[in-house]
Amino acid sequence: MPGYVYDKLLVNCLLAGIIATVYSPVADAVNIIVNQTVPVAPYSLVDTRAIFTMQQRFWPDGEPIKVFVFPDNNTAHKDFAKNNLNMFPHQLRRVWDRMVFSGTGSAPVQLDSEQEMIDKIADTPYSIGYLSGRPKNEKIRVFEYR
Amino acid sequence: MKKYVYLSTGKELAGAILFGLCSIAQAGFLPEEIQVHGFLTQGFFHSSDNNVYGQSDDGISPGLTEIGLNAAYQPFNRLRFAAQGLYRRGGAVDDSSVRLDYGLADLTLWTYKSGQIGIRGGRIKIPFGLYNETRDVPFTHPTILLPQGIYFDRSRSLLRSADGGSLYIDQRTDYGNFTFKFNVGSPLGNHQEIRSSILGPNAQGEFDAEPGIATQLSYEINGGEYIFAVSYMDLQLDYQPLAAEPLSSGKAHIQPLLFSAQYNGEKFTLTAEYDYRWNELSHFGPLLQDFNSITESWYIQGGYQFLTQLQATVRYDVLYNNKDDKTGKRAAAFGLPNHIAYATDWTFGLRYDINSSWMLRADYHRIHGTAWLSQEDNPDRQLTVQDWDLYGLQLSFKF
Repeated sequence: MPGYVYDKLLVNCLLAGIIATVYSPVADAVNIIVNQTVPVAPYSLVDTRAIFTMQQRFWPDGEPIKVFVFPDNNTAHKDFAKNNLNMFPHQLRRVWDRMVFSGTGSAPVQLDSEQEMIDKIADTPYSIGYLSGRPKNEKIRVFEYR
Repeated sequence: MKKYVYLSTGKELAGAILFGLCSIAQAGFLPEEIQVHGFLTQGFFHSSDNNVYGQSDDGISPGLTEIGLNAAYQPFNRLRFAAQGLYRRGGAVDDSSVRLDYGLADLTLWTYKSGQIGIRGGRIKIPFGLYNETRDVPFTHPTILLPQGIYFDRSRSLLRSADGGSLYIDQRTDYGNFTFKFNVGSPLGNHQEIRSSILGPNAQGEFDAEPGIATQLSYEINGGEYIFAVSYMDLQLDYQPLAAEPLSSGKAHIQPLLFSAQYNGEKFTLTAEYDYRWNELSHFGPLLQDFNSITESWYIQGGYQFLTQLQATVRYDVLYNNKDDKTGKRAAAFGLPNHIAYATDWTFGLRYDINSSWMLRADYHRIHGTAWLSQEDNPDRQLTVQDWDLYGLQLSFKF
């Protein structure tokens, strides 16, 4: 009987260990960043997804949103899709391709490096993008959302 | 021979323009308000019997070539222009043509925190099911051939795009996003294949499409992890017979109702669509009595991503042209093979995304029935075979 309890405990610990390794350290969310001109407002996950799927096209003050992303196979892009938006890169691609090739919308502008992202966000009013590092630029702010 | 040379240079020219614009777009010479994208695809087909996109029976047909090029220009925040040209050569049905695929003005009437309402006018893609609006763009669907019971290639002129207007409403909620589209317009293109599918191979007049309706309500949960959609169309075709023809100027009324569901996981996708279509033929004269039928088609499709770049798809697709005559008695009475009334298709597809611009894929189909075979590629229906195999290979590029 005590042997059985011990086995059960062991199995539970093993499961907990597996779950912990699978779920905890992988959550590498990136920093979503915006140009300082972007209004501060209580943005939700739904809003953030709508911005990056190009469905929400204007900020609360009416200015058009400019979206910058990295290519689909970029590590920061994968982390961003999965951990910030709770989506997969192929879902974003599906939405963008459908809009571009049916004439119903536009795709975000694709950039190749973190430095390019910093430069673009700093230089483009009302722009949004993301970075795996923290931005060190006074024209850039981390985008807060719930 | 002369014709071939002309076609070939036309294609090369289109290809050169495509690659030129591609490099301009990627080099960033264009102003920010203009976006340019495009795609190019070449498919090869081989079949054990029956022809698909040209002479595929006992040979290899390089039957499907498509080149698409689009541009979008946003001069004002709420006004956008977009247009796409499409070169297409698809067997005997589509003999090398360049067309305006869509060309529209999009005006956002009202935008608010959780959605928007707008209108589009011009030539607009027809929303129907999960794939129709981008049916010619290989990257947007898993196999070379779309399920033919619903996304007929032979009757694509009714499904491609329509000249007219559209109202759209997007509404976001914490439980998912709703999109509603209501389009009114005249479907474009050559309706010869529709003529033969409705009136049989001997009819010689012309079908003209009246302005019709296409509407769709879709609901997406969790950024498209789950997608549900209902699409409905109401189309009418008017027939103008030739003077010597025994048919009178009749009407064909077609109303498809399509239900769609899709699950998009990280590696696994599951898709199903069910189409229920009312067909009504009237006023064709004594030789063709007024006739109502219901076409039924559905498919179920599973996909799995083995590696980031490698995806496998299995699909079972069923089509009955008349659900009350699944064995084709009516076709036999008209002297046609009874297998023209149905088609079931097992598809196995492998898609390899070489990088974000290039994609190679292969399809194998085991097909029972000939319902969706094109008349142009198979002029003598007596020569068609009920059970056949189809192999496809396709290389595609986009930017």
